[in-house]
Amino acid sequence: MNTVLAKFLESNKKAILQQWLDCALALFPEKMGYSTPVAMVLSGALEKILSGLGKSENDCQEALDDVTRILAVQNFPPSKALSIFLEPKLILRDIMMKTTVAGTLTQEVQEAFNSRFDRLTLEAFDSYMRHREKIYQLKVEEGSRRMYMALRRTEA
Amino acid sequence: MSKYVPKLSDLKKEFDEKPSVLKGNYSVQEWWDIPVEFRDGNWCFPGKPEVLEDLGFANPRKWAATDENWQLPAGWQKTISDGLQSRLKKYRSLKLFLDSCVRCGACADKCHFFLGTGDPKNMPVVRAELLRSVYRHDFPLVEKILKGFSGSRKLTEAVIKEWHMYFHQCTECRRCSVFCPFGIDTAEITMMVRELLNLIGVNNNWILAPVSNCNRTGNHLGIEPHTFVQNINSLVEDIEDLTGVAVEPTFNRKGAEVLFITPSGDVFGDPGVYTMMGYLLLFHHIGLDYTISTYASEGGNFGMFTSNDMMKKLNAKMYHEAKRLGVKWILGGECGHMWRVVHQYMNTMNGPADFLEVPVSPITGTRFSNAAATKMVHIAEFTADLIHHKKLKLDPKRNDHLRTTFHDSCNVARGMGMFEEPRHILRNVCNTFHEMPEDTIREKTFCCGSGSGLNAEENMENRMRGGFPRANAVKQVKDRHKVNSLVTICAIDRASLPPLMNYWNPGVSVYGLHELVGNALIMQGEKKRTEDLRENPMAGFEDGGDDEE
Ligand code: SF4
Ligand code: SF4
Repeated sequence: MNTVLAKFLESNKKAILQQWLDCALALFPEKMGYSTPVAMVLSGALEKILSGLGKSENDCQEALDDVTRILAVQNFPPSKALSIFLEPKLILRDIMMKTTVAGTLTQEVQEAFNSRFDRLTLEAFDSYMRHREKIYQLKVEEGSRRMYMALRRTEA
Repeated sequence: MSKYVPKLSDLKKEFDEKPSVLKGNYSVQEWWDIPVEFRDGNWCFPGKPEVLEDLGFANPRKWAATDENWQLPAGWQKTISDGLQSRLKKYRSLKLFLDSCVRCGACADKCHFFLGTGDPKNMPVVRAELLRSVYRHDFPLVEKILKGFSGSRKLTEAVIKEWHMYFHQCTECRRCSVFCPFGIDTAEITMMVRELLNLIGVNNNWILAPVSNCNRTGNHLGIEPHTFVQNINSLVEDIEDLTGVAVEPTFNRKGAEVLFITPSGDVFGDPGVYTMMGYLLLFHHIGLDYTISTYASEGGNFGMFTSNDMMKKLNAKMYHEAKRLGVKWILGGECGHMWRVVHQYMNTMNGPADFLEVPVSPITGTRFSNAAATKMVHIAEFTADLIHHKKLKLDPKRNDHLRTTFHDSCNVARGMGMFEEPRHILRNVCNTFHEMPEDTIREKTFCCGSGSGLNAEENMENRMRGGFPRANAVKQVKDRHKVNSLVTICAIDRASLPPLMNYWNPGVSVYGLHELVGNALIMQGEKKRTEDLRENPMAGFEDGGDDEE
């Protein structure tokens, strides 16, 4: 990824992360505190995703999974859950408007960032769905394990 | 009082930082205005009509929590109101818990369901408030005395729906009570509300079906005596195939010294059966004079999640059977709520059991005076004592393929204060054991998320949310120490933790403690052991390898 952007991200990482994490925690009915397990996992994963932006594509798969694994079992719909991947674009825009560095980021660079996050959103969708499917798989497995033990009984 | 209760200064600081709902400014809505929505994965199927009829419980009918109309019986408000009144008279603790909360908030973020969902109604203080608000309305005198406390409300069908939702998102684990300066036990409030809900037919089939089965056949799965015996005998065959040793359990044998009772999950569930194999090997190893009952064929007691009377009835069969068989004392297997019932209620409910003796280990001579009232010893205490007196021949290397951590089951840890015995055993039967973070174990252990009868398949999302804090702690030792085995001493854990691990920490398997004991025991006359009780290869014991001591 563009070195200008990489530099910009590096120097604003803390601010972006903080805002991004706040958005993620605010998804929950009562905003999650920073010291809760959910917040700790999310903050670690979001940081990894952000740091991985400049690197090769699969770098953040695990972090992405960590995020969607939590979201996929929540009571809110996927549209709300995955909205957190739309936030970084807005956060970036806000920060650029406020900082003097803003001028140094060309439209081209911004677009690169945005399209990276578009792709990330789609990857997150895949990951979210994998976890939903896992839930259904667990339901089936639990049923069939009981069946297996019942069969074992009749064979006994 | 628990040593984890915060100091006043901490409490003040905590309160300032605590979620806003406690201070009554939850966004724009009051908590009771937030609607309750039943959807896939957040509720359990209700009791089947035939199950309720079997038990003589109220209002048998076909219904679902997602129905608009729950078909509550005529006059249900009065039933609840009278039910509450009579329980307030009968259980002083309930009245105390309802009256004494000062909303300090120390408990608010201690519940695994709150930590997994962020739902304000899953804060223990608000959960209790769901009942308290109705109590205040019904008992205006309380409101007069406790003025300054806001929020009383009428008992409507919406309240019943809310109760059903949130008192089935409490696993009665008591973690919150450890942090409450007044020792308020929200679990007991949950028990009472579930009891009230049962009076009007608002219930959970995953709890009531086992209750009805147990009431009929003596165990949760409804297994009849011959099948019960057959199943244990098939485990005996498996043991012989694996170890070359023929263990010989006896059933309903009068005059045995010890009656052994364990949850039926150990006899019929996977992976519980491997724990059962461990018990059988242990008893053979020490030559224990014991018998297993096909009538008291269940250690667990889902009555506890239903009503006090049902709990008492299901528990009584243990003493009946001990008396009928003329044993000296009872040895109990690995279970959670079974021990809560034994430890906290059995003696006053169905005791004193004067016909039994204070348990003495026939091998070490240790007198279990802690069990002087109930005459029932936990197998972890029993085995830890054997190991302490060096009465077991163990080869911990046989568990080298397992890198373990230990999950304190809520009921054994908080319900009876047993922390060291299982750890002592674990350290002696395996070489790799790592503790999870300090604030997630022992007295502060996190629940599996499926306790108290919430382990239904259809409730999977709820279980995964509620179990997240526990799973997250396991993940930390998995990442740091490559832990691959979660060891526990509870039958519900053995059923509920495998899917929890599968979802949050794939690659971590769940074991009963005595399964590891069974792996490690060097049995007299055994053949060369290359596989553990699950028929998985042991590391370093492959065929042709050297397993000589
Ligand atoms: S239950 Fe106890 S800890 Fe919780 S708010 Fe009330 S007094 Fe405080
Ligand atoms: S008993 Fe356990 S599940 Fe229930 S409110 Fe307290 S912490 Fe939560």
